[in-house]
Amino acid sequence: MGHSSDTAFVLKDVSLFFGSVPILTDVNFAIRSTGITSIIGPSGSGKSTLLRTLNRLNDHHPTFRCTGSVRYRGTDIYANGNGSVDVARLRQDIGMLFQKPCLFPTSIYENVLFGLKRLKLRPRSEFPGIVETTLRAVFLWDEVKDRMKHPANELSQGQQQRLSLARALACEPEVLLLDEPTASLDPKSTQAIESLIRELGNRLTVILVTHRLEQAKRLSETVIFLSDGCVCEWGGVDDIFTCPSKEITQQYLAGHPP
Amino acid sequence: MITRRRRKLVGVLLRTLVGSMTVISVMALVCIVVVMVTKGGAMLTWEFLSQPSRAFGAEGGIRSQIAGTLILAMGAGLLSLPIALGTALYQSEYLTPQLKSVAMRFVYALNGVPTILFGLFGYLVFGLYLGFGISWVSGALILAMMILPTLVVSIREAIDAIPHQYREAGLALGMSTAQLIRAVIVPQSVHGIITGLLLGLVRATGETAAIVFTATTFSGVDFPRSLDEPVTTLQTHILLLSQEAVHPSATDAVWGAALMLMILVLCFSMGALMVRSRFRVEV
Repeated sequence: MGHSSDTAFVLKDVSLFFGSVPILTDVNFAIRSTGITSIIGPSGSGKSTLLRTLNRLNDHHPTFRCTGSVRYRGTDIYANGNGSVDVARLRQDIGMLFQKPCLFPTSIYENVLFGLKRLKLRPRSEFPGIVETTLRAVFLWDEVKDRMKHPANELSQGQQQRLSLARALACEPEVLLLDEPTASLDPKSTQAIESLIRELGNRLTVILVTHRLEQAKRLSETVIFLSDGCVCEWGGVDDIFTCPSKEITQQYLAGHPP
Repeated sequence: MITRRRRKLVGVLLRTLVGSMTVISVMALVCIVVVMVTKGGAMLTWEFLSQPSRAFGAEGGIRSQIAGTLILAMGAGLLSLPIALGTALYQSEYLTPQLKSVAMRFVYALNGVPTILFGLFGYLVFGLYLGFGISWVSGALILAMMILPTLVVSIREAIDAIPHQYREAGLALGMSTAQLIRAVIVPQSVHGIITGLLLGLVRATGETAAIVFTATTFSGVDFPRSLDEPVTTLQTHILLLSQEAVHPSATDAVWGAALMLMILVLCFSMGALMVRSRFRVEV
């Protein structure tokens, strides 16, 4: 399976294990360089594990094992016993947003720059401009511009999640992994985050894990449906939601999970 | 009905029993404090604290002893801190869970070594083999070894208590393990580092057996002017005067020194408690 410039990830015969327990087996799909791909499926189907495989965030779990080939822009990120890939560099390219906002116990300003400062990606003189740009990008600038030195944990949940996203975007990732980013948010904040995701999908590879089928339908171009430890079906959002080819997918979409 | 009454009676008895145990525990400290304050309180004058001891403790004060105790404890803390921090970080960030467990067993085993053996080891290795002799450096080195487990355990507890999300958020931003340690792990463990250091100072301040072998002399020294000079400490002052002094003033000086030692230990302990409780409030 060769690499083409419009493909970000190609997974071939991938199986994921914790210890001897298989989480997903024989996973095969490709994800385009731009656009939004949603991973859906029942609880425990391995959505988050699959997502965290893409930036090797499962690595610190001592019993995690991945077989097969996970190619990111042509490079097998699990090749040669994990030794040949600069994992930190890989994760700089692949930003991630978690289910619950996770801010460091410091100011709003410092949180935006948390990764950028430590990774020394840009000169310090550019920091104020980067903070403003990223906070504007997540529609948070007007709400926090007068209290940049305030503790970040003073913000509401929705604002905290947007700040987490700003922190990831400040490092200029090419891919954004979103692990149920609106699960802990109210409808208004959810709407704000969804608008952002839609906008980011125009220029980044966005991979979204979600429980909300309507959200997947609204936002994504491609959908991957996981169930029973494998990829049951993947394809265009219209194909999956209007005429799924497998009965298990139909049942899940109809609200009768297998 | 009888069963219910009996159950209630057993409950009251048990509560009384464990309550008495608690009172005994608290009273142990209260009794020590009361005896020390009663016997030594009158001695704690500026003259007593600021003058060197003379005439086998019968005259003068405990200036040199306070200085010696603090020099040894602080020296031990400074020597032990980087080693303990490195050990705790290596265990938590680089070792597998199995090796972490093995490493911690070694740390706990070190904590269980009798202090007299530390003293003997320090005398042979630091005093004779490395040539420091009976000196404050030998004493600080051996005390550093003794307080190492206290520091390692405290720092490890603080590292283990760091929310998992912080670690994941740092890693997801592309930080290497070294960057994660600098940016997240160490700043979030500062309270554990300070608490461990203060508890280590408590232990070092109270230690007698090991430093008698390696670092102290009774008299003839004030502040050490070189690495190979011994010091005199509150612990050795109390030990020797209580066994050998006959002059009533010297006996009073023992109580004064004992109270001063207890004040130092309580200050470090209270400091550790304050740091720990402040952290709990913030979480």
